[in-house]
Amino acid sequence: MNNPKRIAGTLVVLAVFGSALFWALRSNQQTQAIEHEQAVVAQTAPLKGLIAVDVEPFFKDERVAKLLAAQRLPVQAVRVGSRDMAGKLDEAPDFFLASGVVAANMILDAARKANKQATQSSPFHTPLVVASWEPVAKILVANQIAKPIAPKVYGLDMEKLTEAMLAKKRWRDLKDSGDYAVSRSVLVSTTDIRRSNSAAMYLALTSQALNGEVVSDRARGNELALKLAELFKRQGFQENYVNGAFDDYLSIGMGNTPLAFIYESQMLAQAQKNGGGGLRPEMVLMYPQPTIVNKLVIVAMNERGRKLAELLATNKELQAIALEQGFRTGDPAAFAATAKQAGLAVDTQLRQVVDPPGFDLMFDMIDTVSREMNQ
Amino acid sequence: MMRRLALVVLAVALSACGKKEDAPATPSAPAAAKTTLRVLATSDLKDVEPLAAQIEAATGVAVQFRFGGTMESTQEVLGGTPNADVAWFANAKYLLSDAAGQGRVKMQEKIMLSPIAVGVSESDAARFGWNKPDAKLTWADITKAAKRGELRYALSNPATSNQGFMALLGVVAAAGGKGEALTAADVDRQAIADFLTGYKIVGDNSTYLAEQFTKLQGTRANAFINYESWLLTLNASGKLREKLHLIYPFEGVSTADYPFMLLNEAKRADYLKVVEYLKGDTAQLWLARQTLRRPMKAELAAQVADLLPARGFQVELPFSPDRQLADGLIDAYLNEFRKPIASTFVLDTSGSMQGQRREQLVEAIHYLAGADVSLTGRVAKLTNREKLWFLPFSDRPQEPVLFEIPTGTAVRKGVAPQADTDAKKAELQRVRDAADGLRMAGGTALYDSVLAALNHMLEQRKLKPDYQYSVIAFTDGKNTVGRNLDAFKQAYEQMPEDVRGIPVFMVLYGDAAEADLKQLVAITGGRVFDARKTPLYAVFKDIRAYQ
Repeated sequence: MNNPKRIAGTLVVLAVFGSALFWALRSNQQTQAIEHEQAVVAQTAPLKGLIAVDVEPFFKDERVAKLLAAQRLPVQAVRVGSRDMAGKLDEAPDFFLASGVVAANMILDAARKANKQATQSSPFHTPLVVASWEPVAKILVANQIAKPIAPKVYGLDMEKLTEAMLAKKRWRDLKDSGDYAVSRSVLVSTTDIRRSNSAAMYLALTSQALNGEVVSDRARGNELALKLAELFKRQGFQENYVNGAFDDYLSIGMGNTPLAFIYESQMLAQAQKNGGGGLRPEMVLMYPQPTIVNKLVIVAMNERGRKLAELLATNKELQAIALEQGFRTGDPAAFAATAKQAGLAVDTQLRQVVDPPGFDLMFDMIDTVSREMNQ
Repeated sequence: MMRRLALVVLAVALSACGKKEDAPATPSAPAAAKTTLRVLATSDLKDVEPLAAQIEAATGVAVQFRFGGTMESTQEVLGGTPNADVAWFANAKYLLSDAAGQGRVKMQEKIMLSPIAVGVSESDAARFGWNKPDAKLTWADITKAAKRGELRYALSNPATSNQGFMALLGVVAAAGGKGEALTAADVDRQAIADFLTGYKIVGDNSTYLAEQFTKLQGTRANAFINYESWLLTLNASGKLREKLHLIYPFEGVSTADYPFMLLNEAKRADYLKVVEYLKGDTAQLWLARQTLRRPMKAELAAQVADLLPARGFQVELPFSPDRQLADGLIDAYLNEFRKPIASTFVLDTSGSMQGQRREQLVEAIHYLAGADVSLTGRVAKLTNREKLWFLPFSDRPQEPVLFEIPTGTAVRKGVAPQADTDAKKAELQRVRDAADGLRMAGGTALYDSVLAALNHMLEQRKLKPDYQYSVIAFTDGKNTVGRNLDAFKQAYEQMPEDVRGIPVFMVLYGDAAEADLKQLVAITGGRVFDARKTPLYAVFKDIRAYQ
C-alpha cells in the first residue's frame, strides 16, 4: 500500500471512529439529560397517600395542594377506612394518614412483618367529646354526672354516665330533669361501630370507665364488650357515615340528639364556617373524664413520606389550615386563639387523657359488639 | 377554597338564571356539556319538581325526576336499579338499616327536614282540648282518641309509605313504654287495633290523599297525618273547610331528613354539584318558602321563622333497625289489623280482549293471588280476611263470584311475618283457576257493569260494614252496550249518599277512552290508573296501596 492510500485509509478509519465516537458521546449526553429530567420528575411526582376521611378536606384544600407542590411534595390522596389501611401495604403508598393510634399501630405491625421500614408521627390531634345542650348538661350536673369547667364547657364523669346508661335510666328518672323529663333512655348517640372509628373510641372509653383502667386483658375485654354492646344496640338506627350523629345534632337538635359523641374538630370546624356554622347558643361541649385524644398519625413508608411528615409538623401555613379544620396542632396557643375567634368554648388543657386498648384487643372488642348488633 | 370558588361560580350562574326567568322566551342554558342525573324520588317529593329548572341553570346538570312509593323505591334500590343515578327519599332508615342497602348507597347528604304531625280540624282540636299549649299529646293519647271515635284520619298506607309506617311505629313505641328502640316482641297488638279504628281515608300518595281529605273533611275525617310540610301547605292553600291544628306527638316525633343518595358511582361529579346547590342558601330558602320544609342550617331556619316557627323541645321517636319488627309490623298490618278489603273486580271479557290482552289480565290476577315475597309483592298479594268478587262483563254484567281469604293463625304477642295456611293457599288457587277460566266474547257494557258492582258493594256493606269497600274496573275499549256516561251519572245520583265512600279505581288499558274514564272517577271518587305503558300487574299492585 502506498502512503497516500494509507493516509486516506487512516482518515476513513478515523472518520468512521470519530463519527461513531461523536454519536456515542452525543447519545450519552442525551441519555444523561433524560435521566436527569426523570429524576426531577420522580422527585415531584405526586406522593401516593392513603388517608382517613377525617383529613380528606385538608388535602382537598387548594392552599394545601399549592404549598405541597411548591415543596415538591404534591400528594395524590385516596380515602381509605383507617382499619383497612394495614391490608394495603401492597399498594406501595408513600405514606398513610390514619385516624387513631390503633390503626397506625396496626400498619406499623404489618410493615414490620413485611420487612418494610415505616416511621410514624402525629402532626394533628383532636379529643373525643360529647356535644350537648345547656339544659341537658344542667340535668347531668344536678345528678353529679357532669361538672362545669368553664362557661359552656363541662367535664363528663364517664363512670357515672356509663352506670346510668347500663341501669337503663330514663331522662325523667334523673333529678331535676325539668323540661326534659321524658321517657327516653339516657344514651349517647354514636356512629355505627362496624364502620367508624369514633364509635370504637366510645367503646374504649366506656370499657375503661367500667374497668377502672384501660382494658389490657382479652377475656376481660370480651366480657366488657358483651356488656356494653347494648349501649350501641339500644340507640336504634345509627348513621353509618362519619358526620351522621353530628348532622342530626346540628339540624334536628336536642329532641333527637341530646348527647352526640364526636371529635372536637367537627364542632370547631363547624363553628368556623360562615355565620358561625349554625351553632346555637345553647350548644355546649362536654369532655369525658378521662377522654381519648384521637391522633391523626402519618406513617411514612420512604424518605419522601418522612419529608411530608416533617413538613406537616412544622409548616405554619399548613398548621393554620389544620386549625381551620378544627384540629389541634403542636401549638396550644394557636389552637386556643382559633377557638376563641370562632366563639367556641373549649377545654384547652385536657387534664385526663387515656390511650385506647391495644389494636388487637380493640378489634376483638369491636367484633364482639358487631356480632351482638347483627343478631 | 374549592367550595368557595364553586359558590362564586354558582352565584354567578344563579344571577344569570334570575335574569333568564324574567324573559322566558330566551333558550335556557347552553346545550353543550349538558348531563342528566336521573333521580328516583319518593312521591311526597313531587312538590320539589319545579326546582329542576333552577338546578340545571345553576349547575348545568339536568335533573330528571321519577316518583314512586317508599317501599317500591326501596326495593328498586336494593335490586341495584340501572334506571336511577340518585335516590331521594323522605327517610332512608329502612333502606340503610341493612348491609345490602348500605352497599347500594355510595354517598348521602341530608337536604331538609319535615317532622310528621297530626293535623286536626281546628274546631275539633279546640273541642277536645288538643290545642292547649301544655297538652303534650302522645301517640298513646292519639290512639285513645281514635278508639273513642274522636279522631278520624287520612294517612298514607303504612305498608307502602314512610308516613304511615312511622305513625304505626309511634303508636307501638308509646304503648310499649320503652325509652329506646323497640323489638318485634315488644309490640302491643291492641294498640295497633285501637289506632286503626280511626283510619278512614286510605291511599298511597300525598297528592291523592290531600284531594280526598279536602273533599271529606268534616264528614268522613277530621284529621290528616302527614309531613308538616304537606299540612302547612294545605292550610295555606285555602282549599280546606277549616284549617288544621298541628299536633307533634310528645316524645314521638319522626322527622324526615330527605337524604339525597348517590347510587351510580359514575355520576359522582354531577351528584356533588347538585348537592352543593341543594344545600346552598338559594335552594334551601326556595325549599323552605315553596314547600315549607325546614332548612338544615339553623341560620337559614331563622330567616324563615315566620313560615316555620322554631319547634323547641321535640323528642324524636327512636327508629328501630330491627327488620323483624318492620317486616312483622307490615305483615301484621296487612293481614290482621287493617280493615279488611272487600272489592269487586269488574273485568272486561269482550271479544277484543282475546289473545295477548287476556294473557296479561290472567297474569296480573295470578300475581295478586300468587306468592311473591318481595317488599312490594307482599303488599299486592291478597291478604287474610279479604273478600273479592269477580264480576266479568261483555254485553251485560254477569253475577259476581265470591272469593274469601281465610284468617291466619291467632297471635298473642309481638309481631312476625306468617306463612300462608293451607286454607289460604287453596283459596288463592281458586282465584287463579277462575282467572284461567275467563272467556272473551261480545261487546262492552262498561257503565252498566260498574253500576252493578257499586250496587253489589252497597248491599254487602249493609250486611258487613267492617270492610274497606272499593270497585276496581278494568276495560280495554269504549262503552258499546247499555247506559252511556250521562245515564250512568243520573243513575249514580239516585243512589244513597253513602255510595261516595266506595271509590272506583279504573284501569285504562288497550283502546279505552281516557277522558271517559276520568269523568267516571270524577263522579264516583277514585282514580284512573294507566296500564297502556306500565305492565298490568304493576298497575294492580299500585291500586292495592289505595284500597
